[in-house]
Amino acid sequence: MNKRLFGVLGTVILGAALITGIGTYVSSAKNDSRVLAATPAGTIDTPQGELPHYTLDMSSYPDSMAGSHGADGGAHPDWVTFGPVTNFEVPAHSAITITVRQYDGGETITNDFFATVHGTVDGTMTLNGEKVRSIPANQIGHTWTLHGLSDTKDQLFVSVPLKAVPDEEMPEEGYSSNPPTTTFTFITGDAGEYIWNCEFPCGDGTVARFGSAMSTMGYMSGHFTVVNA
Amino acid sequence: MSELETQKRSSIFKRKDVRQTGLLWIVLTAIIGFVASEVQVRSMGAPASETMATTINMMRVFTWAAAPIAGLVAAMAATTLLAKRHYGDTPPDDVDHEIRNSPRAAGTWIIVSALMCLFALIWGMVALQRESVGLLDSKAMHVNVVGQQWAWNFDYIDNGTVRSQDLYLPVDKPVVFNVTSKDVIHSFWIVQMGIKIDANPGYMTQTSVTPDKIGVYDLRCAELCGLLHAYMQKKVHVVSQADYDAWISNQGGNI
Amino acid sequence: MTTMMDRSPSAPGHSAPKKALIERLNMWTGFALGIIMAVVFYYLSKALLPVNTEESFIKTNQDQYVLLSMIGWLIGFMTGMGALIAPFRWVMGRDLSHDENLFYAGKGQGIKRYFRFTTDHKVVGIQYLVITMVIFGVGGILAMLIRTNLGHAGGGWLHPQAYNAVVGTHGIIMIVGTIIMVTGPFGNFIMPIMIGARDMAFPRLNALSFWLVVAAIPPLLASFFLGGISTGWSAYNPLASQAPHGMDGYIMFIVIFALSTMVAGANITTTVVKMRAKGMTWNRTPIFIYGVVASVALALPAFPVFFLSQVMSAMDRATGSTFYDPRGGGSGWLYENLFWIMGHPEVYVILIPAVAALMEMAPVFTRRPLFSFNVAVLGIAGISGLSILVWAHHMYTTGWAPLLNGPFMLTTELISIPTGMLFFVLIGTLWRGRLWMTMPTASIYALLWNFMIGGITGIYLSDVPIDAFLHGSMYVTAHFHYTLMGAGLTGALAALVYWFPKMTGRMFDKSLSWISFWLVQIGFNVTFIGMFLVGLAGQPRRVEAYPEAFSQGNLITTMGAYTIMAGMLVLLHGVISSWRSGALAPANPWFAKTLEWSVPNPVPLENFEVLPVVTSDPYGYGKAKS
Repeated sequence: MNKRLFGVLGTVILGAALITGIGTYVSSAKNDSRVLAATPAGTIDTPQGELPHYTLDMSSYPDSMAGSHGADGGAHPDWVTFGPVTNFEVPAHSAITITVRQYDGGETITNDFFATVHGTVDGTMTLNGEKVRSIPANQIGHTWTLHGLSDTKDQLFVSVPLKAVPDEEMPEEGYSSNPPTTTFTFITGDAGEYIWNCEFPCGDGTVARFGSAMSTMGYMSGHFTVVNA
Repeated sequence: MSELETQKRSSIFKRKDVRQTGLLWIVLTAIIGFVASEVQVRSMGAPASETMATTINMMRVFTWAAAPIAGLVAAMAATTLLAKRHYGDTPPDDVDHEIRNSPRAAGTWIIVSALMCLFALIWGMVALQRESVGLLDSKAMHVNVVGQQWAWNFDYIDNGTVRSQDLYLPVDKPVVFNVTSKDVIHSFWIVQMGIKIDANPGYMTQTSVTPDKIGVYDLRCAELCGLLHAYMQKKVHVVSQADYDAWISNQGGNI
Repeated sequence: MTTMMDRSPSAPGHSAPKKALIERLNMWTGFALGIIMAVVFYYLSKALLPVNTEESFIKTNQDQYVLLSMIGWLIGFMTGMGALIAPFRWVMGRDLSHDENLFYAGKGQGIKRYFRFTTDHKVVGIQYLVITMVIFGVGGILAMLIRTNLGHAGGGWLHPQAYNAVVGTHGIIMIVGTIIMVTGPFGNFIMPIMIGARDMAFPRLNALSFWLVVAAIPPLLASFFLGGISTGWSAYNPLASQAPHGMDGYIMFIVIFALSTMVAGANITTTVVKMRAKGMTWNRTPIFIYGVVASVALALPAFPVFFLSQVMSAMDRATGSTFYDPRGGGSGWLYENLFWIMGHPEVYVILIPAVAALMEMAPVFTRRPLFSFNVAVLGIAGISGLSILVWAHHMYTTGWAPLLNGPFMLTTELISIPTGMLFFVLIGTLWRGRLWMTMPTASIYALLWNFMIGGITGIYLSDVPIDAFLHGSMYVTAHFHYTLMGAGLTGALAALVYWFPKMTGRMFDKSLSWISFWLVQIGFNVTFIGMFLVGLAGQPRRVEAYPEAFSQGNLITTMGAYTIMAGMLVLLHGVISSWRSGALAPANPWFAKTLEWSVPNPVPLENFEVLPVVTSDPYGYGKAKS
C-alpha cells in the first residue's frame, strides 16, 4: 500500500516538476529583460504645480544593430527596434520628459489620429527645437504610444508621432547623422503597469504590417512601469 | 409485466421514490434557479443601458426557465444514487423489470423541450428586434470607431473634427457606432452597456445603444488581435449633456 | 503490453535470412527520412524559388521555405514508414503476398508492431490511445502555463508573444486530442469487435490515418521554435497573415490532420455499414456504434472545408494571393465562415461519441436495459443533422449578415431538443437502476452535471442579445470547456477505464480511478465556475493581463487547474501501473452483453474464431416479473 502511495505521489511530483521546468524555461525566454529607470532632473513647473522632474532618452533604429540586441543584431538583425532598451520605469506623480531620436525612414501612417500629439503637457511636443501639435501624416516614421488596462484608476495615454528621416537623407550605410529629435513631457498618475508600442505599421503581414518586430516584445513595444517614488 | 403498467396511473405518485423525487425536484429547482441566477446576475454588475438591463433580465428568466429541467434531472439522478448502490467486483442482480421505453415519457419530454426552445427563441427574437431598431433611429448621434492594433480612437462626426482616445457619450442620447478596423479583426465591447460588434478591416459594421447612467465604463477588445490584445482597452465616460457639450467645445468641435 | 499468441515461424522476419524492405521500415526510418526530406526541400526551395520583390504583400520567402520543408517532412515520413509500399506495388502491377499482408497485420512481431505501419485495428487502437495521451500531456502542460500566468493580475510571467503562442497551441492541440480521444482508441480497438468484424473495412487506411496524426505533430511542435501560433486556435485572418512562421506549422498540422480525419471517417463509416455481424440489424447495433459513426460521418463534410480554409491561408501567406485580404477583394468573414463550417460540426464530432460511450456503459452499470434506444438514436441523428446548420452562431457579433442572426438563433436553439433526448436516455436508464458504483458510473453523473451546465450556458450564448454581451469573453471559454472537457473528456476517461481490461488484458486500478475522478471533477468545476464569473464581469478571452477586478476569480480558476493537473497525473500513473502490473482481467469483467466481451484476453488476431451471429440487442438486462 505504501509503495503504491509513493508511486502515485512520485508521478504527481515528477509531473509537476516537469511542468515547472517547462514553465520556468518559457517564462525566462524573454528578449528584453533590461529595464531603464528615469533619470532625476530636479523639479519642473507644470499646470499641476511644481512636480519632480525625470528624463528618459531613447532612439528608434531601422534595424537591430543598435538597441539592446547586441553587436550582431540578435536573432533578427533586420528588424526595426527601439533602444537602448524597451522597458522603462518612472516614478508616480512626476513630470517625465522623454527624448526620442528617430533614425528610421517612413511613409504615410494608416491612421492619422496618431499623427497628432495626445496626452502630453499642453498637448505639444518639441520637434528639433520647435513646438508642434502634429506632423503631416506622410512624414511619419514611428509613433511612441503609451497605454494600459482599463481599471478603476485614471489611465495614462500618451501618443506622439516621430518624424521620419527623409528618403534623400537616409544613408546607404549606418545611421543618419541628423535624426529628427522629439521631446515631450507628460505627468504620471498613480503607480501602475503600462505598455507602449508603435502605431505605425512597420512589420510583416498582408493587411497591416503589424507582424515580426511589431508583434515581438523588445522591438517596437515594451513595458512601462509607474512606481511609487 | 412491470409495476408501472400493472398499477393504476394514480398510484404511481404514491410510490416512495416518486414522491421523494417530486420533493427533491421542487427543492432543487428552487436552489438551482436562485443560486444560478443570483450568482450570474450579480457578477454582471449594474447595467449602464437598457440593452444591458434586457440582457441581465434574460439571463435571469432563462436560468429560471431551465431550472426545472436541471432540477428534474438532478432529482431523478439523486434519488437513484440514494436508493441502491452496490460496490464490489461483481455486478448487483439485474433490476426486476425490463422496461425499455416509455412513449408517454419520451413524448412529454420532447414536447416540453420543444416548447422551452420556442420560448427562448421568441424571447430572444423580440429582444433582438428591439435592439436592431436602434440602428435606424434618426435622432441618434453617430460616432465613428476605429480599431487598430492595440488602440481605439473615436471620431465624433456630428460635432466637426473632434477625435478622442477615450469615448465620451452624453447620457440618455441614442448613439450609433460605425465600427471599422485599420488592420486585423477587433471587437468593440462596451462591457456595462452589453453591446459588442467586430471591427473588420475594409468593412464598416454598426451597433447602437442608449447609455442611461452617468459614470465611467470599460471598453475592451473582445477578439484576439495579436501581441498586446490584452491592453486594447479604453474608458467610456458617460456624462450629462451639458458636460458633453462643454467637452466638445473644449476639443474645438461644434455642438 | 499484450503480446500476440500466434508466432508462426512462416512469418517474414523469422524465416528470411535477408530482411525485405517491408521489414526494415518502421517509425525510426520514417523520422529519419522525414527529417532528411525536410532539409532537402528547405535547401532546394531556397535555391530554386524566385526572391520576392518589394511590392509583394509578403516581405520574405521564409513562409514558402517553411511550408515546403514541412511538405517534404510529410512525404519523407510516410515513405520512410512504409506507407507507400502497397500503392507502389500496385503501380508496378503486383499485389502484396499473403505473408506480407500478415506481416502488415503485425503477426508475430511483439512490441515492434506498435512502431510499424501495422494494419491490425487493435494495434491502431493502442497507438491512438498512446498518442492521445501524449497530446493531452502537451496540451495540459500548456494549460498549466496559461493558468500560472493568469494567477495574478497584470500577467507578465510569460512574454505576451509566448503567452499567445501557448494559448494558440493549447487550443488546437486539445481540439485535435479531443477529436481523436474516443473514435481513435475505442473506435479502432473496440468498435470492430463490437460489431462482430475481423478488422476494419480498409486496414491500410486505418494505419494511414494513425500515422498521419503522428506526421502532423512535428510541424505543430516546430511552430514553437518558429515564433509560435500567435492567433488562438481559430487562426482568424488577417491576423494569421501577420503571424510568425509558427503559423505555417499550424497550417500544415491542420492540413495533415484533416487528411487523417477524412481517411478515418471513410474507413469507420464503411466498416459499420458493411461489416456488422449477421443478425446485427440497425435496431440491434449498440448505441456506441451510432455515436462513433455520427462523429466520423460529421467529420466527412467538415474537415475538407477546414483543409481548404488552411490551404487558402497558406496561399495568402506564401504566394501573395488575397483570399482573406480586403485590399485584394478578399474578406476575413470568408475565413470565419469556412472555419466555423468545420468548427461547429467539430464540437459534436468530439461530444457525440463520448456521450454515446457513457450511454453504452449506463445499462451495464445500472443492470437494466438502455432506456429508449430509439430516442437515443434520434437524438444523435438530430444533433448531427442540425450541427451543420448552426455555424454562424459563432459570428453573431462579427457584423457579417446581421439578418441571418435570427435564423441561426433558430437552428442553434433547436439543437437543444435532440441534446435533451440524450439526457432523457441517460436519466431514464439511471432511474430505478441498481447502481454498480464504479468510476464509469460516477462519470455518468459527472456528465449529467457538467453537460447540464454546458448546455444551459449554451442556450444563453445561442441567444443573440446575450451573446452580444458574452461573446469573446471568458464565459465562452468556460462554456466550451464544460461541453468538451466536462462532458467529452469525462466520457473518454470513463471509456478508458471501462475498456482498459479488453485493450490491455488488465484491470484499471480501482482506487486510482476513483482518486483521479474526484480530483479531476472537483478541480474542473472549481476552474470553470471561476471562469464563468470573470467572464460575466467582463474579462475577455485570450488576454495575457487583466485588471485587478478579475483577480479573485482568476485565482480560483488557477487553483482548480492545478487540482486537475494532480488528478490527471494520478490517472497517468494509474494507466502506466495498471498496464504494467494490474490484476489480469477476465474476458468479461463487467458482465456486459456487447460482443467485444465475448472474445478472450488478449484479443487474438482477427478477433473471432467463428464470426458471431446476433439475435438480440445487447441491452437485455432485467428480469421479467411474471
